[in-house]
Amino acid sequence: MGTEQEQRRKERLDRGIKVRSDGLYALMSWRELSYLTVPRMVLIVGFLILPLIMPSMYWERVISIVCIYALLAISFDFMAHFLGLVSLGGAFFIGVGGYISAVLNHSLGLPPLVSIAVSTIVGALICTLVLLPCLPLRGVYFAIVTLMYPLFLARLIEALNILGGTDGIMGLDSFPGRWIEQYFMILMVLGFLFGMRRLVNTDLGLVLRAVKDNDQAVRASGMSITFYKAIAVFIASAMGCLGGACLVHIYMWAGISLFALDFSILPIAATVIGGSGTLVGPLLGCLILVPISELLRAFGTLRIVFYSLILVGFIVLRSEGLMVYGQRKYHQFERWVRV
Amino acid sequence: MLEATGLMVFYENMLALNNVSLQCGDNEIVGVFGANSAGKSTLMYTLSGIMEDIRKKEDMAGGERITVLGRIRYLGEDITNLKPSSRARKGIVLCPERRRIFSESTVMENLRIGAYLATPAQTRETLDYVFKVFPALQTLRKRIGGFLSGGEQQMLAIARALMAQPRLLLLDEPLMGLSPLIQAMLVRATSEIRREKSISIIVTEQYARPVLPIVDYAFILENGAAVLEGGREELLSNPDVRSAYFGV
Repeated sequence: MGTEQEQRRKERLDRGIKVRSDGLYALMSWRELSYLTVPRMVLIVGFLILPLIMPSMYWERVISIVCIYALLAISFDFMAHFLGLVSLGGAFFIGVGGYISAVLNHSLGLPPLVSIAVSTIVGALICTLVLLPCLPLRGVYFAIVTLMYPLFLARLIEALNILGGTDGIMGLDSFPGRWIEQYFMILMVLGFLFGMRRLVNTDLGLVLRAVKDNDQAVRASGMSITFYKAIAVFIASAMGCLGGACLVHIYMWAGISLFALDFSILPIAATVIGGSGTLVGPLLGCLILVPISELLRAFGTLRIVFYSLILVGFIVLRSEGLMVYGQRKYHQFERWVRV
Repeated sequence: MLEATGLMVFYENMLALNNVSLQCGDNEIVGVFGANSAGKSTLMYTLSGIMEDIRKKEDMAGGERITVLGRIRYLGEDITNLKPSSRARKGIVLCPERRRIFSESTVMENLRIGAYLATPAQTRETLDYVFKVFPALQTLRKRIGGFLSGGEQQMLAIARALMAQPRLLLLDEPLMGLSPLIQAMLVRATSEIRREKSISIIVTEQYARPVLPIVDYAFILENGAAVLEGGREELLSNPDVRSAYFGV
């Protein structure tokens, strides 16, 4: 009682430069400008030179795969943290986008870039339409429905032997060249990343975040939550369908493995690792997880064991995610103060 | 019975409790009065240990850093670092703000969850007692918690806390949003519980008047600091307090 030991606590303060550069008008010096732009430029430039420094064809392919997963992960993060819908439908979006693009290219002979664009829009429309019934609801229904659709479609294709059946659709056109393929993917990912970051701060993004917080209050303000959710699901599924469409042209083949569960699970894992709610985090998570999963191929079936261990470790030790942690360290400093 | 010294709670860099010291004797009712954001709930969370839990979760999620300083002694023992569950086992039971009843369980189920720490004999006995103090609950036994009215929910929340066999009951804003009639009933019940169960009670409230008649000693919080304390008469005679908290 009454022991007057020195009491200290760790204080967390925003860096002065962060406070100064928060206001747009305060950008007076190169130092402040670079404080804001360097992290973004590192990401953009780093991504752009990535194809140039890859050692082999194999790793060049990995970049494209990273980009596809990144699109899915950003779309998952967007839906989960700005809309309140947990989507397990990565495989669904990939499959729908991929098959549409394959059919357009194979049957109608459209060139890849056209079929990708068309299948992104049409695929997103289809996805939104079939998901529409569960949009007014809260809870697990959306997750379950998005999980079931890919299983349903895969079995349908298998049983009815349509769209190539179990063999898939072979002999699709590939991208005009490997540089076009990789830079197309990278530009798409960067475009969607910064576009989504912008979007969630617009009025539309504001409504979506309100829907996540309290959908009844949004309804009471005279807005249809189904309409707004449909818009958001359209955007998110467009990203997934784009990924799927690119995937079939990269592999020049579309099969029922497009509906594999990997496409649903890995983006979620990447979001957890990268830091959910940041939109950049999922991209970072994919940059880490996809190459790791490639490296672990050497271990055969043990791959999944290592993979799971990494994930569990992350959740237990750094459940906030890399990006959240990094942002805090970048923007704030800590010091001990006497109370 | 309970003695807290120099409690300081920081939410990140915001000071929520500033060097608050508070005592509660055996079989006493202590009032803590203050406006919104004065630190009443923070105080209750700190005393019941819930703050430890919140701190840990925020830490895991990389959220706010919560710092708790100061010492809490209870029955001659230092409980500053005890988990909320161990504090509840020792008899410090919180009846949280906004009731927090299990809204999808029935009244009876709510009470049985509350009685987790009690022996079967204690459970039976306390159940009878609770229905004696709050006869309304008896008829609502099968009702789902979420469908009860505000007053009924508050009765249920207090009853649930009693089922945990408290020796020190922490009531956080028990009168919030209730009609004067129900308020008077709850205040009467609180004083009855203190007398018949011979337990200590710490009660927080924004508006002191309804609770004041049953309070032995009171503290007034302002911006996280205990600016005034004293017995009932002492506070009543202070003109500032009279106008600010008693509305007379």
